[in-house]
Amino acid sequence: MDGLFIINGMQHRLDFKSDERLLFTLRKHGYTEVKNGCLEGECGACLILLDDKPVNSCQVFTASAVEKDIKTVKGIGNLYEPHIIQKAFVDAGAVQCGFCTPGMVLATYALLQKNPKPSEPEIKNALDGNLCRCTGYVKIIEAVKLAAQMIGKGGDRNV
Amino acid sequence: MKELHWYYPETLADAETLVRQENVLPHGGGTGLLLRNLTGVDSLIELSRLPLRSIKVVDHNVEIGSACTYADVVEKMAEIDPGHILIKCLHHSANTPLRNRITIGGSVAMFPPWSDLMGALITLDAMISLTGKNSGDYSVLEYIRDKNLRANSLITTVKFKLLPRKSAHYREIRTKSDMPTFNHTVLLNIEKNKIVDCRIITVGTVLKYTRLAEAETYLTNRRIENIDVAEIGKLVNLKFAGSHIDDPEYANIKAGIELGRMIQQMVRS
Amino acid sequence: MSDYTIIGKSEKKIDSLSLATGACQFTDDFELKEPLYLAQLYSPHAHAEILNIDDSEARKLPGVVDVFHYQNVKPVLHTTAGQGFPEPSPYDSVLFDMKMRFIGDRVAMVAAEDQKIANNALKLIKVEYKILEPLFDPEKAMDKNAPKLHGTDRFTPIGATYDSLKNLAAEVEIEFGDLKKGEAEADFIIDKIYHAHYGSHCAQEPHAAISYFDEMGRLVIVCTTQVPFHVRRIVSKVCEFPLSKIRVIKPRIGGGFGGKQEVLLEPLAALVTIKLKRPAKIVLSRKEVFQNSRTRHPVRTRLRTGVKNNGDITFLEMDSLLNSGAYGTHALTVLSNCGAKVLPLFNKIENMRFLGRSVYTNLPVGGAYRGYGATQGYFALNQQLDMIARKLDVDLPEFIKKNHIQVGETSKIFEALGEGKEGVVQYINSCKLDECIDIGAREIGWYEKREKKLTNGDKVKGVGMMVAMQGSGIPLVDMASAYMKMNDDGSFNLDIGATDIGTGSDTVLAQIAAEVLSIDLEKIIVLSSDTDRTPFDVGAYASSTTYVSGGAVKKCAEKIRDQILDVAAEIMKTDRNNLELADGKVHDQKNNKCISLSDVAVYSLYTKNQFQIQAGASQFVEQSPPPFIAQFAEVEVDKKTGKVDLIKFVSVVDCGQAINPKLAEGQIDGATVNGICYALTEEYKFSENGNLLTKQFRDYKIWTAADIPEIKTIVVESHEKTGPFGAKSVGEIGINGPMPAIANAIYDAVDVRLFKAPFTPARVYREMQKTGCQHY
Ligand SMILES: Cc1cc2nc3c(=O)[nH]c(=O)nc-3n(C[C@H](O)[C@H](O)[C@H](O)COP(=O)(O)OP(=O)(O)OC[C@H]3O[C@@H](n4cnc5c(N)ncnc54)[C@H](O)[C@@H]3O)c2cc1C
Ligand code: FES
Ligand code: FES
Repeated sequence: MDGLFIINGMQHRLDFKSDERLLFTLRKHGYTEVKNGCLEGECGACLILLDDKPVNSCQVFTASAVEKDIKTVKGIGNLYEPHIIQKAFVDAGAVQCGFCTPGMVLATYALLQKNPKPSEPEIKNALDGNLCRCTGYVKIIEAVKLAAQMIGKGGDRNV
Repeated sequence: MKELHWYYPETLADAETLVRQENVLPHGGGTGLLLRNLTGVDSLIELSRLPLRSIKVVDHNVEIGSACTYADVVEKMAEIDPGHILIKCLHHSANTPLRNRITIGGSVAMFPPWSDLMGALITLDAMISLTGKNSGDYSVLEYIRDKNLRANSLITTVKFKLLPRKSAHYREIRTKSDMPTFNHTVLLNIEKNKIVDCRIITVGTVLKYTRLAEAETYLTNRRIENIDVAEIGKLVNLKFAGSHIDDPEYANIKAGIELGRMIQQMVRS
Repeated sequence: MSDYTIIGKSEKKIDSLSLATGACQFTDDFELKEPLYLAQLYSPHAHAEILNIDDSEARKLPGVVDVFHYQNVKPVLHTTAGQGFPEPSPYDSVLFDMKMRFIGDRVAMVAAEDQKIANNALKLIKVEYKILEPLFDPEKAMDKNAPKLHGTDRFTPIGATYDSLKNLAAEVEIEFGDLKKGEAEADFIIDKIYHAHYGSHCAQEPHAAISYFDEMGRLVIVCTTQVPFHVRRIVSKVCEFPLSKIRVIKPRIGGGFGGKQEVLLEPLAALVTIKLKRPAKIVLSRKEVFQNSRTRHPVRTRLRTGVKNNGDITFLEMDSLLNSGAYGTHALTVLSNCGAKVLPLFNKIENMRFLGRSVYTNLPVGGAYRGYGATQGYFALNQQLDMIARKLDVDLPEFIKKNHIQVGETSKIFEALGEGKEGVVQYINSCKLDECIDIGAREIGWYEKREKKLTNGDKVKGVGMMVAMQGSGIPLVDMASAYMKMNDDGSFNLDIGATDIGTGSDTVLAQIAAEVLSIDLEKIIVLSSDTDRTPFDVGAYASSTTYVSGGAVKKCAEKIRDQILDVAAEIMKTDRNNLELADGKVHDQKNNKCISLSDVAVYSLYTKNQFQIQAGASQFVEQSPPPFIAQFAEVEVDKKTGKVDLIKFVSVVDCGQAINPKLAEGQIDGATVNGICYALTEEYKFSENGNLLTKQFRDYKIWTAADIPEIKTIVVESHEKTGPFGAKSVGEIGINGPMPAIANAIYDAVDVRLFKAPFTPARVYREMQKTGCQHY
């Protein structure tokens, strides 16, 4: 099959198998920033934004996402123009191996769009679909607070 | 494997025609379909383009479109009735990204033993509307019992009455993002310090779900000051099995204690 | 406290922005031209012999290119443990064996044009098995009539005790003093049995390897490894391919924790590329990671201690039985560390005996796992200390302070017990454990909460603590090296064999170089872990990187500094002794003149007496100075249901000088939470026939942010004179505490001793129900 997708703001026609998971379609077409950690819907390494909502791309049939808007972590900022959230993760020391980071950053992005001043329990609950084995979440939670603060101070273009 | 065909109907009429075909299945969120073997399935009907994503209230009757996700329901029910049982059941179900995919229709059709939804729908005496071969309205219980209703039929809406009830939900989980080993849903109608009606459903037992009739009988028509929480625990006699349950006897004890606590909390507040 | 400019600063991890923006590549992210995808067939029987394999149907499936199994792959005995050479682990594995030793043992492998075809082809391989009686109980492994897992052709290359006829993968025994005398002197003896359970590393990135021939016909392997140089050596041996023709590259790694100190997939990918001359790719599924890779070794510890009423411990006897599973990877060294990393902490005990045995069973295979035996040993020791203090009616922190090792002291264990061989005499140069204990006690509110049983409805609170030490590398074994050169603009390439698996070692090592040269961190360009491009390093294990590799980098940078000063003296026509490096410049202290580093570089490269400012250095260590930690838990136990809620967890660590405090804290935070999950929710469960039931995250529960209570990590700095800028290690130690500290806290709350984890509600409830439980 093939279909149109809007990925990180650009239209793409991608080919895929009829029973393929969106995770594999994206990775196959070079979006390797979307990671495969479990294929169960438990780890959040494959998290993307589908029509602005965080979902596990391993739990989505590609065919069900045609014509939809997809955002990966590269869609919110890059090495040259990082998003505030990405900077906050760096500043807080929230990136160890970095395998969970794209998913964590996007889950944070979705949270702050809905709730720019989250409390600590709200932060923790918003990250309940993302596993991290390196950080113990301590500095990740700090990073989200820091990002909210930085954005609150009027820092960013996207949020 | 041969290719699946995907349909993207935009009207219910089209969907009805499609669902009547051989070897087709509706696709809600896909989180359940991804677990099953799709051999023998020729096509899937994607439901997200159908007008089934809204929640309506008419005359204290709530109608939830079957393509609504758990997250949709939590968000929209909060506007309708912030203390509603469905919010309590679903707002911590699975995890945040999954709640954006799991649909009401798919969850009714699949009814896994860890379902956070079905206890509430049963206690609410919810009805479902089907379109297709078995077009019509059915109670959720009928739908659960009669597997034939599933064939070539699409759940379009789930309906229930808005009633002033005290409600509570308890999930037995190991971590916050976990499928519950069992969960309790309780609805109480308390008038003048007396329980006049009560519904208690436990999902996750060997029978998939169990109505706690003895506890219901104990509570019904009882004044709240006469409720003995320990007594409720003793009336819980649930059977659990499966490799995920190490100690079925303990699971039952735990179920009893937690139910007692729920009731205590509910009558106190 | 220090006048360092970069050491002790929480510099940003140098790869973190690239990771946060998704630019960095992990093994599975590399694109290969028309690779073959590999899939493995696993044994459905715990113990069986393969009578025949018929792969003809699989080979007929369109897209299948080859099928590998014992009939067509030469068996080369080796160990998959990625350790130094000769490895202390027994040579008991071949790539494809005729005998299957656990459910999940490798039967065959398919190479196909895509992953689905490879997976489907597995179902077409017909295997005839002769089912053998399985052995699951490690206690019975050495019985005469127990099933034997391995043949007598298996051996240990270092000549350690090994007896396949007894299913004995390793044995260690040491004794000093006089146990009998110690027993006689004791006023009371505590004799308990503890069980540390299986655990999965759960690195978020599953294991993967890719291989291909480069344009010069050399075999390139990119893989998720902690030990690139050991991979090169072991692949060369197992695939019988010249080491000089192999290049191993470690890209970004999504966590290791010991699980990637194992050479599992690399030989498989290499085998395919060598035979078929095509790129190959193999990536494990999460289920395979749980079942078929490596685990934490379960250890049964019997601990006997004799104590006098005045508090003297008169003897200690530790008997550790390690369940190695089907193969003996790390069986000797983890076993040794159950004693070696634990017992020296209480060096005042004069009569001691440690008996350790590792045995084979038909269960998943143990391996290296953060903590490496210490975690298992401390579970026993710290609960026993809690019991002793309670029986003596003394304060546990004060009791520990009186008994633990101090600066200037040694322990006979250091000398008697090394990693798989005799150890090394060591004296403690730095130890701030007392301070750690005091700070931790204050932070948790020890004296306000201990034995108070603060109650709220059905819930009771309790606090517990523990102490531990670890090591910093393996003395007289580990070696690391570094190479540096200077560029025109005063930047430097730093090439290191050291392996950053997410720990931040690239950053920490760059900070060490930058400190020596008094330059900004950005001036250091790090390349690590490429066997063609970087000098040797044993890899990321044994908490060695900062201490050992850091030592190499420091030496190397000092050599560079000397060369810079020589050249600067020539340029500035002054005496070298007047010169000093500061702020990226060379200063002449006599006349306040200065030149930039780029002036030095340009001069040396282009102007006069041209040469490349460059240096290499190796670090070989004779010591393994232990970091110390005190960890405290506050729990709330539901008396009715046995459910344990962790309220707060405090870790106070002495890791010497923290080169980068934020990264050091991150190591402790991560290790602590890993340990907490291991103590409370992580569990391997097996069916009766030895099948692992918990091989998904939905069954094997690790925590998310939503589960995290207050976690507090405090770094207390000390100065270790043998370490680079005073540093020791910090990578492993934090994982040791949660299990014993939480167990002790549960006891404080509800008077129940838990000798087995995880402390699930059901287990705690059942223990509370048992009558006559001993109260200490
Ligand atoms: C990791 C994980 C954790 C989870 N945890 C929980 C939890 O804690 N609590 C909980 O309640 N749920 C949980 N779930 C969700 C649950 O297991 C099911 O996956 C989900 O309920 C199925 O809904 P869906 O919309 O994705 O259905 P789909 O996968 O789309 O469909 C499931 C079945 O229903 C049929 N179907 C779908 N829509 C309709 C319709 N409108 N009419 C008729 N038939 C239809 C499909 O043909 C299919 O047979 C979890 C899921 C995952 C993956
Ligand atoms: S890979 Fe999708 S949730 Fe783990
Ligand atoms: S940083 Fe490694 S998993 Fe989160």
